[in-house]
Amino acid sequence: MKEVLRFENVSMHYHSKQGETVALQDVSFSVNEGEFVAIIGPSGCGKTTLLSLAAGLLSPTKGKVYTNGGSFGYMLQKDELFPWRTIEKNIFLPLEIKRADTPEHRARALALAEKYGLSQFLKNYPSSLSGGMRQRAALIRTLSVDPDVLLLDEPFSALDYQTRLSVCDDVYKIIREEQKTALLITHDISEAISVADRIFVLSKRPASIIAEHAVAFPETEPLKRRENKEFSRWFELLWKELNV
Amino acid sequence: MKNEVNYSREHLLYLSGVKKKTVWVNVIRVAVLVLLLSLWELSAQCNWINPFITSSPSRILKAIAELYENGTLFYHVGTTLWETLVGFFIAVGLGYGIALLLWWSEAFRRISEPYFVVLNALPKIALGPLVIIWCGTGSGAIVFMTVLIGIIVAILNMLNGFMATDENKLLLMKSMGATKLQILTKLVIPSSLPNFISMLKINVGMAWIGSIMGEYIVSKAGIGYLIVYGGQVFKLDLVMSAVFILCILAALMYAAVALLEKSVIKNR
Repeated sequence: MKEVLRFENVSMHYHSKQGETVALQDVSFSVNEGEFVAIIGPSGCGKTTLLSLAAGLLSPTKGKVYTNGGSFGYMLQKDELFPWRTIEKNIFLPLEIKRADTPEHRARALALAEKYGLSQFLKNYPSSLSGGMRQRAALIRTLSVDPDVLLLDEPFSALDYQTRLSVCDDVYKIIREEQKTALLITHDISEAISVADRIFVLSKRPASIIAEHAVAFPETEPLKRRENKEFSRWFELLWKELNV
Repeated sequence: MKNEVNYSREHLLYLSGVKKKTVWVNVIRVAVLVLLLSLWELSAQCNWINPFITSSPSRILKAIAELYENGTLFYHVGTTLWETLVGFFIAVGLGYGIALLLWWSEAFRRISEPYFVVLNALPKIALGPLVIIWCGTGSGAIVFMTVLIGIIVAILNMLNGFMATDENKLLLMKSMGATKLQILTKLVIPSSLPNFISMLKINVGMAWIGSIMGEYIVSKAGIGYLIVYGGQVFKLDLVMSAVFILCILAALMYAAVALLEKSVIKNR
């Protein structure tokens, strides 16, 4: 299997007048093509730093991040749709940024929007959509430039519990169907178990990887996984690891 | 959008209640104005107050009619309106541009900060004599004064708006690989639109302060000139008329900005 992202002994230090903070300490892991990898860790342990490093927005203090030339799409906690743009224009935003705003690319983005049930909202402004629909629009926006790897920074945490379960299911299916590689960062253990092929557990700050698990379920859909008996066993295991 | 919804009786009652309240507020607003004006007029007519000092609505109308008849009304109004608008647009435009530069360069922002703080606190009227010497005694000096008073407020307000851009949206743009120019045009400028509108509203007031104050210091025409002249020759009817005209013009300009706001910010 082809590796699309690899962290090799990555450390990250932040400097401020108050002193130096070590956010990440000697983190190594890799993500293979087509995999759904989740990284869980306690709040404030440097999860977002990790994604920023993966996306190339930061460079590590020590160590190396290999990306194999792939392109990344970032999905944040909130949908961050621009309220002054229609859904359609929001979806075209990455195309404009990458100067790839061609009719073919637009058509591809619109086809995605249509496939995933956004066509009736294209001319609407984000404020008229529900939270779930907005997050779906945000995913289509991320996918519009056809990135190789999706970086998901707790993309469901701003939603209420009900919506969250269904949006998680939704996003998972879309990512699988589009055969994307995904790296999800979250503090929500059950969310990680319900979507991931592999899970890495991060310690408290300075964060380093304390465990790696290959999660195998006969079911693939997040909601179905949650009904499996194995689910609670995984939950307990990860819960203990997070709280050592 | 949905006009053909059948509301329940309770909701219709509620709606008519709301409407009634609005109507009442408007009626009372007008009534207060009428009451005050008639009281003023009555007091002047009956000599309870000295109309020579306090003027009266009828005398104000007469004074305005006189100005109109001798053909100077529109000359004075036009002069001040021109100075105000030119000053307003220069202050807003230049202020916006400088705020953009300050947003762009952190070094420039940090270095210039104390200067702007001092300039903001400085009463610009203190520069009056300098303005006369630099710009002469014509309209130029008054426009300059207007710009001087408006521009610092414009810069600081806009910069605030630019700097308040949502951190997560900035992160999103960066993750897409946006250049600084793209971040500016696609995120910072559109997201600061509400700040732009509120800056315009503040600057409407600033522009009138600037032009009238400018005319106080140096002028041969304009509404500020009429006020000063009227005061000097004790024609208080003239002073009151000028103030009355000023009220109307300022309200109209504010209404124009409010109209702009409505048309621009409908989707947020």
